[in-house]
This record gives sequence, C-alpha cells and structure tokens, in this order.
Amino acid sequence: MKKVITQGLVGLTIFLSSWVLLNQIDWIDLLEIDKATAKTEIKIGELYWDVFKSNEVENKDAFVNKTIDSLVVKICSRNKIDREHIKVHILNKEEVNAFALPNGHLIIYSGLILASDNPEELSGIIGHELAHIELNHVMRKLINEIGLSVLISMTTGNGSTEIISQTAKLLSSSAFDRDLEKEADLKAVDYLINSKIDTEPFANFLYKLYTKENELQEALSWVSTHPILKERATYILEYSASKKTTIPEMILAPQSWKELQEKLN
Amino acid sequence: MSFSYGPGDHESEKASNSYLMSLIALIAGLPLPIINLLATGIFYLVNRKSSYFVRWHCTQALLSQFSMLPLNSVAFWWTLSIVFGSEGITNNYVAYIILVLLFNSTEFVATIYTAIQTRKGIHIEWFFYGSITNLICKTKK
Repeated sequence: MKKVITQGLVGLTIFLSSWVLLNQIDWIDLLEIDKATAKTEIKIGELYWDVFKSNEVENKDAFVNKTIDSLVVKICSRNKIDREHIKVHILNKEEVNAFALPNGHLIIYSGLILASDNPEELSGIIGHELAHIELNHVMRKLINEIGLSVLISMTTGNGSTEIISQTAKLLSSSAFDRDLEKEADLKAVDYLINSKIDTEPFANFLYKLYTKENELQEALSWVSTHPILKERATYILEYSASKKTTIPEMILAPQSWKELQEKLN
Repeated sequence: MSFSYGPGDHESEKASNSYLMSLIALIAGLPLPIINLLATGIFYLVNRKSSYFVRWHCTQALLSQFSMLPLNSVAFWWTLSIVFGSEGITNNYVAYIILVLLFNSTEFVATIYTAIQTRKGIHIEWFFYGSITNLICKTKK
C-alpha cells in the first residue's frame, strides 16, 4: 500500500510540476493567439459597423466630427489610449445612446449630444464607452452572449446576415453586466481626472437621466440599457471624491458647444 | 517483470486485447473521453472470471483508463467552454492541453508496447498502475 501511495504522489508531483513549468512559457505570444484574436476582432468590427452604416445616417459635418474628435483626442492622449484604434462615428438619431463595437468603433447618436448640457457630460459618456473598449468588454460580451464558434463562423463568411443584425442590436441596446458597467464607470472617472475634466457632470448626467427616466423611457435607450443610474451616479461621485484631482480645465469653448448643438438640432 | 506462472497463448491474446480495446475505442471515441473507459470496462467485466494473467492485465488497462478520464474530461469541458462559452484562451489552458496531450501520447505508446509484450506472454507492470493492480487483483485460492 505504501508503494502505491508513494508512486501516486510521485505521479501527481510530476503532473503538477510539469503544468507549472509549462505555464512559465508565454504560449499566447508564442502561438500568436493574440494576433489571431485581433484579426477576428477587426473583421467582426467591420461586419457590425456595416450594419449600422447601412441602416442609419452618419453625420458627415466637418465641424461636428472635429468637435467630438477633440474630446476623444483629449481623453485618449492623456490616458495613453491609441487614438488610431478608436474610430468615432456620429449617427443622426434621436435616441440618447452611445455604444462600442469590436475593434474600437465608438458610435455616438446625435440624441446623446443634444441631451448633454455641457461637453463635460458628454466626455463622461465617451470616457465610459472608451473604457469598455480598452477593457475589452465588447468582445467579452459577444463571446459570452453568442459564443466564440458563432463569432468565428461570422468572420469566415458562414454567419448569416440575420445573426449579425440580431447581435448588432445586442451591442447597441443591451447593457453589460453590472460589474463590467461599474468597472467602465470607474475607469471613465480615471480617464476624466487624467484629462483634467470635471467628473461631477458625468454623475449629474446619469442622475439627470434617472429623473427623466419615467417620462422619456422610450427615447432614452442609454437609460434602459444602463440601469441603476442613481446608484451609478452615487458611486461615481464617491470614487471621484476619493481621488486626488486637479482643477478642471475648460475642454471646449462655450461658443463651439453651442454651435455643435445647433448643427445637430 | 516475471509473473507467478507462464501464461498460455489464449491468455496472452486476451490480456493483449484488453489494451487494444482501449486503443481502438480511443480512436473511435475521440474527442469524447468516456468511450475508451467504457470499452475497457466492458472488456474487464467480460473477463473478470478469466485466468489470473488475463484479469491482471484487464485491471491494469482499466485503471489506466480511469486515471485518464478526469484529465481528458477537464481538457474536453475546458475546450468547450472556450469555444461556446465566455472563457478565453489562456497560458494556463495551453499548458494544460499540452500536458494532457503528452500524458495521452505516453499512455498510447505504453499501451501499444504492453499489448505487444503481453501477446508474447511477457508480463509488464506499469509504474503506479501495476502496484494498484497487485493490490486489487489476487490469485484465486
């Protein structure tokens, strides 16, 4: 019996130590798994963007795009986010909504810009969506909801347009789970602080949507897809207060903000 | 490794077949890790009243399949959770799969070797499994 136990323990030790040793090698890098994943994400991002591009009207106004871009650039440059990776698209739609697609596509509806009272509020939402992109929430959500096999079949051209359209709705009109939303909110606060943007308007915006929620539930998709607004506004304020902040800077001249709103109205 | 008696030709054939069963079922049942265990288990049940040499080798073959089952099952379900679920490919996963492949290959080679040797009537005791088999399998008094 003693021999069996000894040999069993030796076998187990060989197995576990081999596992630990093999774990020391960076297989993801060696087998270029990340590169393959990145290629899949690029393809999926294009597929989804094509759905929105063909169904919605993209705002091509140079001033509108330049102004929104200036906010995105500010957040990206102060947070070491690769600006080249972020592809901002403004769509003319009344819905108060913004969302991220795979491969850094950031969709902002004109309704959201119009619902914001100042550029800081809008920056908070942009920061939140950038956080979803940077934290890889988008691909994680897709894999979670529809599975890697379906995603891969989509990139190889075997996915039906029906699946792509259905899952596109999933990205634009359903929330991430609570933990991911909170993670993105807090990351957005970090982004705003690093960019010297006041964080309070971000919380205010959520609180404002919360109070309007009952009146305008139909029109405010960002509200229905991002629940527990009051709770979120509270923890954003608490988290901001716990952080050492510098005096916020003006991010957009009032005249430019006014002009932006007028152009979209 | 010597056995308590020299097995006859029909015993050597049956003992050798117990290893071949797991190999054939392994190939047929891929990627389901349970098929080879079932096949070896059935072969064991059929031969549990055979001679000591046959029983001994059927038991060793069955035990080796038993220990491979949890290893392969973890690999199987882990892979499924990556392909159909929310899990991602990690270093941990790749290391585990390589290790399981190594263990399976070693077991595969060892099984072929043992099947050949037992067919010649040569007794082969595996590390660990042989010791357990000695504890379980007793000569009929």
